[in-house]
Amino acid sequence: MNEDFWLVAPITVVWAILAVAYALAPWGDMIGYAWVWGFGSVLFAGLAGLLAWRRAGGGGGKEVCDVGHGRS
Amino acid sequence: METTYRERFAALPAPDRRLLVAMASAALAALALGILGGVVTAAARAGFLDIIPNTGYRFLTLHGVSIFFYWLFTVQAALLLGFAAVEEGRGLAWRGAAWAGFALILSGFGLSTASAFLGMPPLYNGTPELASQTPQAMLAFDLGYLLLGAGLMVLPVSAIATLLAPRLQGRQERMSSVGFALFVWAGFLMVSGFAALHAFLPGALWVLGLAPFPASQGTDWHIVFHNMHYLPLMATVILWYVLMRELTGVKSVFGERFSKIVFSMYLVFVPPTSLYHMFLEPDLPGAVRVAGSMLSLFVSVPTLTAFLIIVASLEVHARSHGGRGLFGWIRLLPWRNPAMAAVGVAALSMALGITFAFVLIQERLAPLLSDTFFVPGYFHFFTLGTVSLTLLAALAVVLPAIGGRALWRPGLLRWMPWLAFAGLLVFGAAGVTAGYLGVPRRVIDVAYQNQAPVLWQGLMAAVGIGGAVMALALAIFAAGIAMSLLPQRRSTPHAAPATVAWGAVALRPGVTAWVGPLSVLLIVGAMYVFTALGFELMQTLPVTAIGGGGGH
Repeated sequence: MNEDFWLVAPITVVWAILAVAYALAPWGDMIGYAWVWGFGSVLFAGLAGLLAWRRAGGGGGKEVCDVGHGRS
Repeated sequence: METTYRERFAALPAPDRRLLVAMASAALAALALGILGGVVTAAARAGFLDIIPNTGYRFLTLHGVSIFFYWLFTVQAALLLGFAAVEEGRGLAWRGAAWAGFALILSGFGLSTASAFLGMPPLYNGTPELASQTPQAMLAFDLGYLLLGAGLMVLPVSAIATLLAPRLQGRQERMSSVGFALFVWAGFLMVSGFAALHAFLPGALWVLGLAPFPASQGTDWHIVFHNMHYLPLMATVILWYVLMRELTGVKSVFGERFSKIVFSMYLVFVPPTSLYHMFLEPDLPGAVRVAGSMLSLFVSVPTLTAFLIIVASLEVHARSHGGRGLFGWIRLLPWRNPAMAAVGVAALSMALGITFAFVLIQERLAPLLSDTFFVPGYFHFFTLGTVSLTLLAALAVVLPAIGGRALWRPGLLRWMPWLAFAGLLVFGAAGVTAGYLGVPRRVIDVAYQNQAPVLWQGLMAAVGIGGAVMALALAIFAAGIAMSLLPQRRSTPHAAPATVAWGAVALRPGVTAWVGPLSVLLIVGAMYVFTALGFELMQTLPVTAIGGGGGH
């Protein structure tokens, strides 16, 4: 797992906690908040998975940061 | 030798350039329509234009829908795709998704704009109760936002695929700070698209007779609106980061990893702070109000941290290049470049916007101020001063590069952000004062058959004058940038844009940077002063606020 994965993972966790809290909130009809942040949590979990995927499938590439035209 | 963003955009494949030109054209058209709607609304409120209230609401709808949704989100989508495409320089992956998303957004723009002139004008939140009188117009409005939401879910897939491609092909271990910022920005756009679908699908189904009345649309609107606030702010700080590299050659002195942490902080901090939109709900428990108030204090942490990174990085580089005095180094920045002028005004506007935003989102003041002109008075510091000028600054770099031509009349354009800021200060000062004094918003005629205080109309006249000045300046600035979209008649050599190149020179040891922290201290002090002023003024009013549930 690289830093990109570990920076996206907390987003997933915080949004999931928030979605559960809103789903269980007994006031204000907050189920809409739960759906949106819940969807976001699943989406960012998927994005984190894509960030982690290279280790398993991409092979041992060289350490390269910011390959865009030498702006490292 | 590093290449500039200008060079990287110029080298984009032709299909990507066509897509970006089409999207930028649509975004600027939305901006032009929105400016028109805003000018008419402000003139009507000021009493300069005699129109019936319903016509005023149509132009207010046009203003809000065009600017807040289609200008801000079409241009964000264009810049996301553009900067993703040049990140590695190989152009966009999954370009079909980008075109499909853009087509959806464009269709939504047509429907939303048309709905402003059909039936009851729905403003920009489209309360479903209005559909009882003109259901077809409300259906068009809801379908417009549904298409926008669908477009925002589809289009970022192309940016994500582009940014992931080098990693999945084993050519990249970790993203650059800019690449990572674009990646999470794309994800947040998709979530916001989902929020729009979730909020407006029940209303559309109800109009079609396929679902019960969407009683929770007001609550669902809050979450769309929350995202629609903070996405452009996130885009703004990402673009400041990118533009400072382009205009000065300066990268963060705190390193790439810290920048990534700040960009991810946006998505960690923003959702939990959304509770403050519920302050107008009368059944919200007191403990939740307190929690919401405390959480709302975190909402500007990522923005201010990014601001500190950028200002501190610029200051230490400027001082290493001979900058002197507490503020003297600021003079060394390339102010002749219109993009630099726009970013400078954006930073000043953000300071003012944050100050008043913190006054508004306090649990005790929100019910008193949320339905007053305080709201448009302060949020134009964000929408126009901070976000729109930053997005235009980015277009001022991107579009001339794509078109292979120089920016139109930079000597004139560089003054437009400052002129817009002058108008904004008049508009904002009069608007915030009017809000403190109880002048309602979303009302075209505030005279109330001459029963309202005389001062109200005077303040609205100032709002009208300030609004006209800032609209004129913004229109000239946008039109000047849009000139880059026109084909060049003949190939002529043109001067390079005004920039400085500080990045390649070693920093002077022991150099310090104080302007960033001092700016934040000043903002906190101003928040305290305006909060105290708000309470003092409110205590003199013979009213009690209990919250009306109207929301923003």
